[in-house]
Amino acid sequence: MKRIIILIGLVASSFGMNSCSNEFLDEPQPTDLVNQEVAYASKEAINAVMAGIIRQSRAQYTNVDTANLGSIFFTRSLKGNDLIQSNNWFGSDYEQTNREPTYRRTLFTWKFPYELASRWTIFIEGVKASKADMTESERNAFLAQGYAYRAFLYFQLSLEFQQTYTYNPNAPAPPIYRDSSSLDGNPMSTMKEFYEFILADLQNAVDLGSYDRIDKSYMNKEVAYALQAQVYQVMANWPKAEIAAHNAYGGIAADVLNASQYTNGFNEMNNDEWLFASPQSDEQSAYYYTAIFPFTDFTTTGYRTTYVNSNFVNLFSNTDVRKLFTKMPQNDWRSYTTTKFKFNFGSDVPLIRYPEMILIEAEAMYNQGKVGDAHNLLYALQKNRDAAAVKSSNSGASLLEEILVERRKELYGENGVEWFDAKRLRRGITRTSNHRIVVNLTPDDKRFVLKVPQAEIDANPNIDESVNNGK
Amino acid sequence: MNVKLSVLSAGALFFIGQFGFAQRTKNDTTTKEKKIEEVVVVAFGKQKREALVGAVSVIDKKVLETQQLTSVTSAVQGSVPGVQVITAGGQPGENPSIKIRGTASINASTNPLIILDGVPYNGNINSISQDQVESINVLKDASSTSLYGSRGANGVILINTKKGKRNQKPRLEFSAQTGYSSPAVNMYKFVDAGKYLELYWEALRNTRVIAGDTPGVAANYATNNLIPNLNYNPYNVNNPVGTDGKLVSGAAQLWNTDWEREILNQASVRNDYRLTLQGGSDNTTYFFSTDYLDQEGSIKSSYFKRFTTRLNLESQISSWLKAGVNTAFAVSSQNYPTQSGNSFTSAVQWIYNVASIYPVYRHDEKGNMIFDNQGNPIYDYGANGSGQNQNRPVFNNENVPGVFFNNKINNKRYDINLSGYLEAEIFKGLKNRLQVGYQMYTFDGYQYNNSLYGAAANVSGRVTTNRDITQTINVSNILNYQKTLGDHNINIDGIFESYQLSYSPISTQSTGFLPGVYYHSGSTKPESVSGNLSEDRIVSVLGRVAYNYKNKYFVEGSYRKDGSSRFSADTRWGDFYSIGGSWVASRESFFDNNIVTYLKFRGSYGELGNNGTLSIDNVANSEGIVSSEYFPYINGYTTGYSNLDQAGIYLTNTRYPRLTWETTSSLNVGADLELFKRVNLTVDYYKKASVDLLYPKPLSPSVGFSQILLNTGKIENYGWEFGINSTNVKNDNFTWTTNLNFSFDKNKIKELQGGNFVSGTKRWEVGKSLYDFWIQEYAGVDPNDGYMMWYKDVKDVNGNITGQTTTKVYADATRYYNDKSSLPDIQGGFSNYFKYKSFDLNFLFNFSFGAYILDSQYANLLVADSPGRQISADIDGRWKNPGDITDIPVLISAQNDFSSTSSRWLFKNDYVRLKALTLGYNIPRQYVDQFGLSDFRLYIQADNLLTWQSHKGIDPEQSFAGTVNNRSYNLRTISFGFKLGF
Repeated sequence: MKRIIILIGLVASSFGMNSCSNEFLDEPQPTDLVNQEVAYASKEAINAVMAGIIRQSRAQYTNVDTANLGSIFFTRSLKGNDLIQSNNWFGSDYEQTNREPTYRRTLFTWKFPYELASRWTIFIEGVKASKADMTESERNAFLAQGYAYRAFLYFQLSLEFQQTYTYNPNAPAPPIYRDSSSLDGNPMSTMKEFYEFILADLQNAVDLGSYDRIDKSYMNKEVAYALQAQVYQVMANWPKAEIAAHNAYGGIAADVLNASQYTNGFNEMNNDEWLFASPQSDEQSAYYYTAIFPFTDFTTTGYRTTYVNSNFVNLFSNTDVRKLFTKMPQNDWRSYTTTKFKFNFGSDVPLIRYPEMILIEAEAMYNQGKVGDAHNLLYALQKNRDAAAVKSSNSGASLLEEILVERRKELYGENGVEWFDAKRLRRGITRTSNHRIVVNLTPDDKRFVLKVPQAEIDANPNIDESVNNGK
Repeated sequence: MNVKLSVLSAGALFFIGQFGFAQRTKNDTTTKEKKIEEVVVVAFGKQKREALVGAVSVIDKKVLETQQLTSVTSAVQGSVPGVQVITAGGQPGENPSIKIRGTASINASTNPLIILDGVPYNGNINSISQDQVESINVLKDASSTSLYGSRGANGVILINTKKGKRNQKPRLEFSAQTGYSSPAVNMYKFVDAGKYLELYWEALRNTRVIAGDTPGVAANYATNNLIPNLNYNPYNVNNPVGTDGKLVSGAAQLWNTDWEREILNQASVRNDYRLTLQGGSDNTTYFFSTDYLDQEGSIKSSYFKRFTTRLNLESQISSWLKAGVNTAFAVSSQNYPTQSGNSFTSAVQWIYNVASIYPVYRHDEKGNMIFDNQGNPIYDYGANGSGQNQNRPVFNNENVPGVFFNNKINNKRYDINLSGYLEAEIFKGLKNRLQVGYQMYTFDGYQYNNSLYGAAANVSGRVTTNRDITQTINVSNILNYQKTLGDHNINIDGIFESYQLSYSPISTQSTGFLPGVYYHSGSTKPESVSGNLSEDRIVSVLGRVAYNYKNKYFVEGSYRKDGSSRFSADTRWGDFYSIGGSWVASRESFFDNNIVTYLKFRGSYGELGNNGTLSIDNVANSEGIVSSEYFPYINGYTTGYSNLDQAGIYLTNTRYPRLTWETTSSLNVGADLELFKRVNLTVDYYKKASVDLLYPKPLSPSVGFSQILLNTGKIENYGWEFGINSTNVKNDNFTWTTNLNFSFDKNKIKELQGGNFVSGTKRWEVGKSLYDFWIQEYAGVDPNDGYMMWYKDVKDVNGNITGQTTTKVYADATRYYNDKSSLPDIQGGFSNYFKYKSFDLNFLFNFSFGAYILDSQYANLLVADSPGRQISADIDGRWKNPGDITDIPVLISAQNDFSSTSSRWLFKNDYVRLKALTLGYNIPRQYVDQFGLSDFRLYIQADNLLTWQSHKGIDPEQSFAGTVNNRSYNLRTISFGFKLGF
């Protein structure tokens, strides 16, 4: 009997010795987390942080219409006259009503760029402090990536949450976060401060960046120039817009244009004309959340919600490679669809293409009085798209209009070109009567602006309800 | 603190600790005082019921045998006061959500700890069949739960399985039961296809009139654009609704789909077969059971099939050594079409959203049915290209009845439980018990999305498999010493325990299948694979000292020290304790009377913890339950964010490294009273204050993180619990007993860091409860234009509120408290048992009053802002003409906020449910003897036979938060059964 007692005692105490210690409790460690120190301890790890943020930018963030960068751009595309949305996903964006503080659109368009921007801020700080074995130029390339992306994201915020820059540079703009030191919400800034912040980041990106990159989902010096061109275009700083646009595409239109690829379905980032993109693959896909594709492609399974205004279709000559429209059986607002965007789960989403840069340069030249140069550049693009194109006789204001029409014809469905131009040029949007819903926006219409989300007002001690007064 | 030192001192405790079986203290009791003999399973042992100083409720055989418990913890509902139970949905095999004495946490788990035969249980409760269970004990206060330390704050449920009895001849029992189920309550009523067309026509017309068209132009527009907007035409004429807004005469209906009939199972079958064998010799006892259950659910194609078996053995090896082993195995298969939520395949959502104008099967543009090569109809997924009757605007590219047929979705579960103990009596009064428990629980989820139809058709089908393995090893070593010196009785326990859990899920997806090929090997493309390993450990020393004098005055104290791997080395050790006492006043000599035949006062106080950290982003695991967060304090980059060929990691959250568990202090005072030896009354008052809450402080979205989990804030739960048991009649032929139990439970936020914050439809604010609605206040429908109005505050230039006005702009509406809460004022149960000769009748009602539910589903049935969305039959009362006074606004097809959250959609959710009814007949002995039977019983059982509810259309059991989520309906099951005893 005694022996057994001792045995039990031994068994018991051995369990005690083994387990009752901090080591026993320290042993479990997460298997799907990399801690902050490791994340910046090597070039490979820094690369992975960079890749991870880019991946998040093309995720399924909250819903079909609030998923990724593509959702932001598609929303803008539907606010013009050229596309017509059925009463389905994005239907209320098309109706210009999806802008209230409690709406998913509003929260997403605010929160999503801010989340990504904060990760780039942490990335910039991490890279700066990193003791990883890397050259100065490697470190700079990482930093340039962070600055360019952050500027890109802040630029999107500036376009959505206030009237355009030239409306009133002193108007309130969303908060600015220069570093990640605090988790407290900052107060609203001004448009002037906001654009200064964006431009400073872009200058850093140009100064530190190189032309090399892993693929077109990463920033490089060209993309930084392209972003500068867009920002200066909004600010109507034409000399700087011209230089930046020129630098972005290299200045020779023929080198960056390849009309034969226009008809390939707009879903492959290796397209010669593409500068910046959200790539996807079958196993890394946002699936049906990949706006614009499942909405406009009527040839495969998808939502099939988006039609093309017949007046817009009529702007294209029959010999234009971009005339990719299908006549539908109905003769109402559903008359036409487009086959520009071919949907599959691996469809890459275009974010910036060279032709936009050519057109920005032309517009910038025009606005500085270099009308002849502007016209030649415009014609270079037109001739590439349509072998039968004839140079117009336009000059003066009608040439500017021609450039703007060309922007729509070239870029429709990609980045909300109509909305972008109407807003920055303070023109308003007029819809033709063949729309499902005819809603017209006056210049500087309130509906060009999203209200600040309720979640921000609720949680940010520096922003209260009055931020939406008058919106 | 020096951990090793404390561990050593704990080791020393082993040798002064002790453990006592209350049965052994029968010596000085008399048969008259039965209560002393009644033994209750408590934390790490058993106690005489009379010795309890805390609040413990016991669910015994009488309750368990009179209900059909697919999930055994359902038995708690209506039988234990102070416990809130919600069984949401009609998928058999799903477990109820249980909260014991309120919500002690905001973000961490609020589930009680489940202990099966002394071992923490980490499987799915549906693996335990009801015939294995002897009793379920619910531990509610500090003195009964403090020995579970950092896991005790939400209360503890002890499930005790059956054992054989010594010197009992073998008894074999077989029972079989067959029944039918249908939804327990009726769904909302909907309009038919013709009515729908007229309504949507009206919405289109109204929208154009509002935009400025003349009524004539608008009516024309509506007539011409009705079908183009809806895309389908269930009539044989081009414009089925004329400019008068009525169906044109002569239009023939081609189809009118009753989605409810297509999707709900109105007569699902339930079969249950059980076999048990038990007995014992003078030193060994055994209990063996096996059972098979097959139950269909309320959604077509859903079912739960389960086989379980258990063997419990106990043996007195020698006069001083005893050993026991419990083994159980369960396997189940659950067909689980989506039962809630917003995915396109969500079954009940489909009924609530898709108008009857859309057909189940495909039709061509002219409305003729299309057949496949075999001549069978083809499910219409509403994504067949352009043209009429081809492209459904609602849930495009899905069809729920088609999903039942074309897709597969099934969960299998395998649960192995082994536990054994060895107990030695070292000398009289001192025992050492070593108990080891092992559990391996495997969840095996399988899903196939069709290669030709639906969301995965464009990748030729998709197979998803999840295989999650959860293993638990729990070792406890218990020293127990018990001594009686004259009138002094003392019990001491010293316990050491270590707990380790490992959880390892693997998930794989592949695409590209030929029709009829359903497993990964047939795929052309692997799509994704993920998996990880999480571990969770707790090391503890604990002790308990109980003393009583003359079985009249009782005191008890217990203490537990826990170290948890969920927190950093600096914050992981915690001390938990309780003290309690009781006084059996009726045993005092001065008390002797014939009215109050028994009276006892109890009181306890203690501090408990909650380390049940959950995913802050509400990420669900493979079983759809919010995942545990095993490392909530580690700030890191999550793997799995690859960008094409580049490995990627992403900082998903920001975290506080010094996070620790929540602490709950718990006070309980109560009294047990017996009147006339016939009526037993139990009253308890409790007050639980939870501090250092794991609280996700919302951050400004512009900061880039939504929230950070901190230990901050304080909430209080308090309430009264009553239990009344009465033996109304008891004689040779007739017995009638009644039980009534109910509780008043309150919840209050006492402290929040960083001010108020909005959580969905609530705003958490000091002085309010977690369940007080804070939403837009409905101000009526404007009789002039039919628009819905809400209240808003009027503010002066300084932002001070100066008054209130109404607005039609929802975004301007102010959110208010409205004194309505999703927490019931009173809830409980009422049961009666009658026995007349060989007949017995038992029924149990459970009830809940005072709670409110925000029914956004119903709200969406009274608007027409999306084409093709189903409309409620209640729409008849809508606003149509200026001057109409109604609560249902004008129909307009443009986006509007009429159905947005507001007090308009907040409804009282009182209900009384006849939860269980059993009518039985025991065939008299003389007739069964000749067949070699010892007894033969026939019975009818009915679950949820009747429901009275204040808000109709949905099951009253939805969620603690009082919100809906397209849940399926609880089942009303009526079964017939028999039981044979040999």
